[in-house]
Order: sequence, then structure tokens, then C-alpha cells
Amino acid sequence: MKPRGSLSAFAERNGIPVTLYLLTCVGIWVFLLVLLPQVTMLDYSFRANLPPSKVGGPEDVYTLEHYRYFLLGSSANPDGWNALDIGVLVKTLVAALFVTLFDLAICYPVAFLLAKGVRGGGARLLILALIVPFWVNEILRAFAFRILFGATGVLNETGMMLGLWEAPIDFIGSDVALYAGLGYAYILLMIFPLYNAIESLDSNQLEAARDMGASWAQVHRRVVIPYAKPGIASGCTMVFMLSAGALAAPQILGGPSNLWFTQLVYQWFNSGGNWPRGSAYAIILLVVCVGFVMFMMRVFRVSIGAIGR
Amino acid sequence: MRGRLLTGGYLLLFFAYLFGPLVIMIGTAFNSAGFPRLSPWECFTTNWFGRLLADDRLLTGLGNSLLIGLGVVIVSTPIGLAAALMLSQVGAKLRATLYTIFIAPILVPGVVIGLSTLIFWDRVGGALDAGYDTLFYDGFFLTILGQVTFISAYSMLVFLSRLQRFDPTLTEAALDMGATPTQAFVKILLPFVAPAIGSAAVLAFLASMENYNTTVFTVVSESTFTTVLASKVRYGIDPSISAIAVIIVGLTLMAALTYEAAQQRTALAGRIAGNPVLRRLMHPAPVGLLLVVLAGVAVWGGSRVDSSACEAQVLEEKRALQEQYRTAPTPSSPAPDTPAAPRDGGAAPASPFSPGNLAPGGDGGEAPSPAAPASPFAPGNLAPGGGEESEAPASPFAPGNLAPGSD
Repeated sequence: MKPRGSLSAFAERNGIPVTLYLLTCVGIWVFLLVLLPQVTMLDYSFRANLPPSKVGGPEDVYTLEHYRYFLLGSSANPDGWNALDIGVLVKTLVAALFVTLFDLAICYPVAFLLAKGVRGGGARLLILALIVPFWVNEILRAFAFRILFGATGVLNETGMMLGLWEAPIDFIGSDVALYAGLGYAYILLMIFPLYNAIESLDSNQLEAARDMGASWAQVHRRVVIPYAKPGIASGCTMVFMLSAGALAAPQILGGPSNLWFTQLVYQWFNSGGNWPRGSAYAIILLVVCVGFVMFMMRVFRVSIGAIGR
Repeated sequence: MRGRLLTGGYLLLFFAYLFGPLVIMIGTAFNSAGFPRLSPWECFTTNWFGRLLADDRLLTGLGNSLLIGLGVVIVSTPIGLAAALMLSQVGAKLRATLYTIFIAPILVPGVVIGLSTLIFWDRVGGALDAGYDTLFYDGFFLTILGQVTFISAYSMLVFLSRLQRFDPTLTEAALDMGATPTQAFVKILLPFVAPAIGSAAVLAFLASMENYNTTVFTVVSESTFTTVLASKVRYGIDPSISAIAVIIVGLTLMAALTYEAAQQRTALAGRIAGNPVLRRLMHPAPVGLLLVVLAGVAVWGGSRVDSSACEAQVLEEKRALQEQYRTAPTPSSPAPDTPAAPRDGGAAPASPFSPGNLAPGGDGGEAPSPAAPASPFAPGNLAPGGGEESEAPASPFAPGNLAPGSD
């Protein structure tokens, strides 16, 4: 590929003003808004936490201190490992994975129905019904789950009225409310990629499989799911990344002793007053999540280009 | 037949999950109880809405959010369009790479985007020796930039799906007829993507309004609607938050129904064209107007609801119940599993005016047994029915009732 040649061809096709517009906008976005801030944060995460007056002074050197802290804890730590923070990270990843699988399980049937089961007006109405709850603010959605799952919440009151359990169950402390709330928040992000993938499947293939004597379970396992794999990967990636990176729902729905990794980042930034360490934690979160997603895509043989389609 | 029943049942469950929490939240907005809940139901009231209008912090935040949303729309829409146009022109290989780069900001956790934006501009400001009152430390500026970072990708997706249906021969024809590339762009391509500009703008605005993860870092000392809401929810919740939900859901439904009317009209265009009444009726303008009028009536009716009499009565009932506790320290408690209750009750007369002692089993430790209401003076417990110990919460004053389970 000849960059010079393709660029001039690009300019010729679009004319100078439009070319300038395209390059300026994309350049500002990719470099000024995405790349440079990320690089700065990476750089910052290797620096010592100094008051503004000492920045640029002799103490302003590169250090691995913050990453060391994440792994080993403070230097007075006897066990050798920072079990608390590492535990929070592992818990966050496992919980996000659980939320993702939960969403996949409940959304797949709906997406399939939407794509192949209902026609015309019904499908539009279903889509509308799916979208409306997601225009409600993220904070309010979490708040709704807090009302639902609280000790005096509807679920506890109903359960006790029916005699299913005696005392209020602590749904919030045991993180049930958090998982339900996170799963709820990203339903739409799971359904639409699935729907897009399944919708483009030729219905004749389904009929052919049925005619040949396949049961519905076989049809799904052998025909629909392999075909919809890019959509499944896309939905799962989005739900996983967004629930691992969620902050509002864990702050509102999380139990007081169960932290989400993003809350650690938030704490180092706000109450902790240690920006470089917050940056290091943010980088760790990003790298671990992206690494995990890449690994899963490699395992299931999907390309990253499938995301967002 | 069985399959159909199963499908219907599943959909029912699914939509119960989808709408149940919202319906319950909406219900709590009209209950006069100080803690958002449906039971015990005290009085139908609209006072929580009045409380909202008096909340200056929330209104300031709303104003800021609208400004930021506008800024985000203005910046992110052209960027999204540019990115989509660029993607539609490059070769397959470059396209895949670019697409990955462009889509990445959606997947990066919002916390990371917020942080990096804040740090980057802080460093730029520091390098330029700018004061803290300059743009680099301004909450509006930083929040707009931070949100644009990923909202541009949403806009790009909207434009991409529109551009997929664009016929490039149209542009070629225009060029062949002697138009300059700029003319072709302005006269052919822009009109074609115009509808998508609207949807991208709406999407960007909504995404900006509801964003929290990025905003909470970049907003610095300012506040937005969402950050005010979050701090309200985290530090003491009351039903006025549910009232916000009622307003938002109401607006959403109005917008959705108006949009649906517009869609139906295009779908049925052929059939209703001949019928002038139907044609007017299905027009989105009257549908929207009707909904606005209905909403107006609801607001007017709501503002006339006077729940003070009922609330006074509930308060009276609470007092009476309180009195009952005072005079009869061992109420009709079906507490077979609280041997402590009678003993504590027996100790109560020693100091009848100390409220804590009056609770049956009230000093039974931090984790109250199921049969013991933690504090009879908490309004929830005194509400009619609140005396039934098995339903009593650990402490209705604890926001969210985070107190550990009774065991």
C-alpha cells in the first residue's frame, strides 16, 4: 500500500475542503481525545505521587511503585501479596462474566423470537418495549433495584407474606441486587447484536433442518448458534466490558463490604488523593479486561471486527 | 400448543423483569411514606414532585447537563460522520483496523476515559502554566471532551448503518455531470445522511444526559443531573427520586408513542391516504399534542391532590401506636422465639420515657431477632401493620436497609 498515493487519491475523490474536514475531525478524535490521554495516563501511572510544587523536580522519577502496591500491598504487608485488591479484581471479573452469561441466556430466546418468531407490527412493538426502559437514567435503574431488593422492599415483603422465608433476606449485602441490576442495565446491548445476527439467517435453513427431522434444540445448536457466533461474541464483549467497568451500579447496589474494582480506582482518585495510583489501577483494569476478551475471542475463534455490528 | 404457551410465559417473565422494577419505583413516588416503598401504603400524595421543584441543586445540575448535552451533540456529530465517511471509503484491510480503533472507546470502561481526560488536560494546563480558572480545569470543557470520546463512536455507528444504503453511483453521476467533489458532498451525500444526523444527535444527547462513569471524574467541581442524582441516591434516599423516574418515564412514553404514530403513518401511508380523518388522526402532531394535553391534565390534577388530611391521620395512628407501646410495654407480640422480650419489657417501667427501652427486645444487640422491631419510633414500624414483628425491618432509617440479615 502506498500511503502517499492513497492519500492523494482520497483527497482527489473528496475535494480539498471535505478531505480537510474528514482528516481534522478523525485526527482530533483519535489523537487528541483517545490516544494522547491514554498515553498520558500510562505515563502518569509510573510516576511518584507528588504535590504540584515538586512536579518536574528531582523526585519526579519513573517508578513501579503503584503496580508493586497492587501486587504486594504496602511494604509492611506480611503475607507478601495484596490479597484484598487482587481479590477485588478477580471478583469483579468473575461477576462480570456471570452477568454476561446471564444476559446471554435470557436474551437469546427473546432475540430469536424477535428475529424469526414475530412479524411486522408485533416486532416493532416488542422493540419499542425493549427500548423504553433504557431511556431511564442509569442511576434511577439502580435505584429501582434498591427499592425492589431492600430489606423492606417488595421482594422481601412478598416473600415473607407468602411465607417463603421468615426474616428479610439481605439481597443487597449478598450482591444479588447488584447482579440483577447489572444484568438489567445491559440487556439491550446483548439483544441487538444477537437480533442482527439471527435476523440475517435465511429462514429456509431453519425449515430445512426441521424437515430433515432435527429437534428445535438441534436446530439451535447446529444452525442458529454457529451462524450467530459473531453477534454472540459482540454482545458478550460489550456486556462484559461495560459491567466490569461499571461504577454507578456497584456504588448504589453493592454491599458495603463488597467492592467493585472501579470503586478502588475512584477511591484512589477522590478520597485517597493518589492520582498516579488511581491511574495505575485504571490501566490494570483496562489491560486485564481487554486481555481477557482477546483470549476468549481466540478460544472461540471470532475476529474483533465483529464487535458493534 | 405447549411450545406457544412456554414462549408466552417466557416473554411474560422477561418483560416482568424489564418493567417490574420501574413500575414499583413509579408507585413509590405516590406514597407519602418517607422511605420509598409500596407497603405499608400510607397516603396517595404528589408532594414529592413539589419537593423536586424546590431542589436547587438538582435544577442546577439539570441546567448544566442540558448545556453539556448540547456541546456533546455539536462536537460528536461531525466527528461521527467524518469517521463513518472515512470507513466507507477505505479498502477492506485498512477498514478493519480503523474500525477497531474507532469502536474501542465504546468498550473502554468509562472510568478509564474520564480519568485519562482529566489527567491529560491537567498536564497540558500544567505545561502551559495555566491557572485553575482556565479551560483545562473547567468541568464543562472536560466533561464535553470526555463524553465526546465515546459518544462519537455511537454517532459513527448510526451514520454507518445509513451509509450502507447509499448508492455511490449517485456521487459518481454528479461528478460526471461536472459537479466539484465539494458540491457532490453538499448536494448528494449530506441530504442523504440528513435523517441520520437527527438520530445521531438524539442518541448523543441522551447518552450524554445519562452518563455517570466518565462524568463523575471530569466534572470536577461542577455538577450534572446524573451526578447530583447519584449523590442523592448514595446519601439518603427518599421518594422524590422516584418522582424523577415518573417524569422521565412519562416523557419517554410520550416521545415513543409520538414516534410510533409517525412510523405507523408511513407504514399505512397507502391505506389511509384516501381517508382524510384517519390521515389527520394518525399525524404525529395531534398525537403528540394529545399526549401533552393528557400530561398537562395529570399535572394539574396532581397538583390539586391534598394529602395533608390523610397524612395527619397516619401520623395520629402512629402516635396512638406509640402510646400503646408506652402504656403496654409487652404488646400482643407473637414472639415465641424472643424470651428476651418480656424481660426487657419488664425493665421498661423503670424508665418509661426512655424510648429505647420500650422496644420489646430493643436492647437485644446489634442484629435484632426477627420478632423484634428495632425501634418502634421509626415511622415505618408504626405505620398500620408495622407492629407485626415479622415484617419489621432492621432499621428503616438505614438508607437502603443495608443492615445485615437477622441471623
